[in-house]
Amino acid sequence: MLRKQNRLAAAMLAPATVLIGVFILVPMLLTIWLSFQNWSTQTGFETARFVGVQNFVDIFSNSSIGRDFKTALVNTAIYTVLSVVLILPLSVVLGLLVHQKLAPGGVFLRTVLFSTYMVPMIAVALVFSKLYSPTEGPINQILGWFFIPPQPWLSSPKTALVSVVLLNVWQQVGYFTVLAVAGLTQIPDSLYEAARIDGARAIERFWAITLPLLGNTLLFSAVIAIINSVQVFEPVALITQGGPIDSTNVLTYHIRRVGIERAQGGLGSAMAVTLMLALIVTIVAVFAFARSREART
Amino acid sequence: MHLLRTFARAAGTLAVLASSTALVQAADVSFLTHWAPDTVAKLEAAAKTYSESHPDTKITVRAVPFGDLLTTLRSSGGGADGATIAGIYDAWLPDLVKDKLVAPVPDAMAADTKSNWPAGVIGAASIGGTLYGIPNEIDVYALNYNKKLFADAGITAPPKTWDELLADAEKLTDKSKGQQGFGLINSWAAGVLHPFSSLLVSNGGDLVVDGKPTLDSKAATETFNLYETLVKKGYSDPAMGTSDANTTGPFLDNFVSEKTGMIIMANWWESALKSGMGDKFADIATAPIPVGPSGDKARSISYSWMTVVNAKAPADEQKAAWDFLNWLNGPSSGPNGASAMGDILMSMGILPSRTSDGAAFADRLNSDPFLKGYTETLANAKGFPVVLGGQEFSEALQKTLEALQFGQLSAADAQSQAQSDATEILTRAAQ
Repeated sequence: MLRKQNRLAAAMLAPATVLIGVFILVPMLLTIWLSFQNWSTQTGFETARFVGVQNFVDIFSNSSIGRDFKTALVNTAIYTVLSVVLILPLSVVLGLLVHQKLAPGGVFLRTVLFSTYMVPMIAVALVFSKLYSPTEGPINQILGWFFIPPQPWLSSPKTALVSVVLLNVWQQVGYFTVLAVAGLTQIPDSLYEAARIDGARAIERFWAITLPLLGNTLLFSAVIAIINSVQVFEPVALITQGGPIDSTNVLTYHIRRVGIERAQGGLGSAMAVTLMLALIVTIVAVFAFARSREART
Repeated sequence: MHLLRTFARAAGTLAVLASSTALVQAADVSFLTHWAPDTVAKLEAAAKTYSESHPDTKITVRAVPFGDLLTTLRSSGGGADGATIAGIYDAWLPDLVKDKLVAPVPDAMAADTKSNWPAGVIGAASIGGTLYGIPNEIDVYALNYNKKLFADAGITAPPKTWDELLADAEKLTDKSKGQQGFGLINSWAAGVLHPFSSLLVSNGGDLVVDGKPTLDSKAATETFNLYETLVKKGYSDPAMGTSDANTTGPFLDNFVSEKTGMIIMANWWESALKSGMGDKFADIATAPIPVGPSGDKARSISYSWMTVVNAKAPADEQKAAWDFLNWLNGPSSGPNGASAMGDILMSMGILPSRTSDGAAFADRLNSDPFLKGYTETLANAKGFPVVLGGQEFSEALQKTLEALQFGQLSAADAQSQAQSDATEILTRAAQ
């Protein structure tokens, strides 16, 4: 009976397992294998030549390959940290504004916020590239009304990456606000009621009830925000092309440049594997941090 | 028996119909380009004209931004289902040939092409003596300047030497108006490299000689120093020189809106200037690249584009593609003995490279003062180096020059890094 059940379970799991194997595991294993090869993406796999860990040595060396990769890695890390640090608190604040019942317009505000997430990136890129124009851009004109000098935005290596982060925050914050609202609706009103009876002020209720009970939602949001940020590609490809001086060159864009434009498949795969490992380590660290906080409380 | 005969007749008729259908739908040729929509419309019109006399060939045109052209070509264009024809920049050719993505020009057509195009352009479209593409446009760099801004600054003639360039740039720079004397471009490899290379060759130097980088020469030292001076003295503001994926953006906006006094650019941006400036385009003039302290005469950099055929496309598709290219670039497809390709290029202000096109458009080239400045420069232009690893070399030098523009590297450090990167990249690519 048990054996029959096992066979049935295996038969039912097989289609999904095969699909996952073919479309996820095989490409991942292939990328890992290619990261140890010297291979042009324009030729068949049979032309790949084993080079050991040379590709990994190269991408961390002081040559132009290594310099470019390390710059892209650091840019991706900065982009991710800034995006998460800005998006999560903003999503909670906006979520509280949308969720509150004291003033009308919550649903309208939620719709407006979420609409930015639905705008195609090509449209966002076109609009923002004009908004950020140093000489004729509306943002600098508005800053001028407050006697703030014009900013170079995308035209300076010092501000270009932050400008792309702000664009990302503008587009993504609505989605994360909806997640925060979903988390807020899960918190029982009775807890707030009890806290109010005990004389807790609004700010105390936020720190003692809202934030701790939003923990799981924020953990989920953080993981999604990190993955989205690490995979950033479109705004860079559409607006900055990684410049000026590689200041917005992020890893996905750089891997595309190396692996496809220059056809250096082995190097590109080594970069992709490193990115995957970095992402795994980061996500595991986030979960470990969340677990340790949970254990303390 | 009757039934059998009827069946045989029907089968015969079907076979004839099928074979004639196959003849009518002999080849489906796709053309990948980076041209703007109005130019694509002209190419489509030419393809339509060709199809009228060649109903067996269907030609479709696909356009992508310049920044995506090489990636598109490599990721999909090189496969059997990719574009049959692609317009490519000559610097990409060695790597595409190495990866066997482009087919050699058929012998008869190659002989005809070699006799109808200048030897330098044929050289840029050939690897190891084999011709791989039909050259079309040739681009050359020159100094563009705004006559009105020059007059306002009390300058009567364009600079002929680097000393004059610096003196004029100083007079043209007015930070209170947000005006820079000399425009430098960033965030676009060719936009960074080609003006630098033009100044370098006009100073007697070269980027690459016999496949080896020569960025450690005295001429290069002086060119790096010139850039440092332009930036340090504030005559060039790098924040005004950013380009986007379509090779437009602030660097173009600032020249069009009279915020940049001088800039080194290629002839092909004439159409962008005209559409951006309207009547004010009359204020724009062209002059040779100023000569550096180690140079003997005004020189410049030229590069060419060509159409290549996908080596992995089916044989009949390749044959149809070559036949179309032969017609498109031939002397009977355009007006007054010009090729249809030449006509399309001239509509963008681009110089066609076919010798007979130069003659067919001579009147227009001579009567257009903007283009005339470029055609006069062409005689003393050096071809941009076409080497294996050219794209990676270009991108590495671009970053170094941008770091110099933004003050992150000194001229000496930039020169040292440029030479070291170029040596490493070209050596690795040649292996």
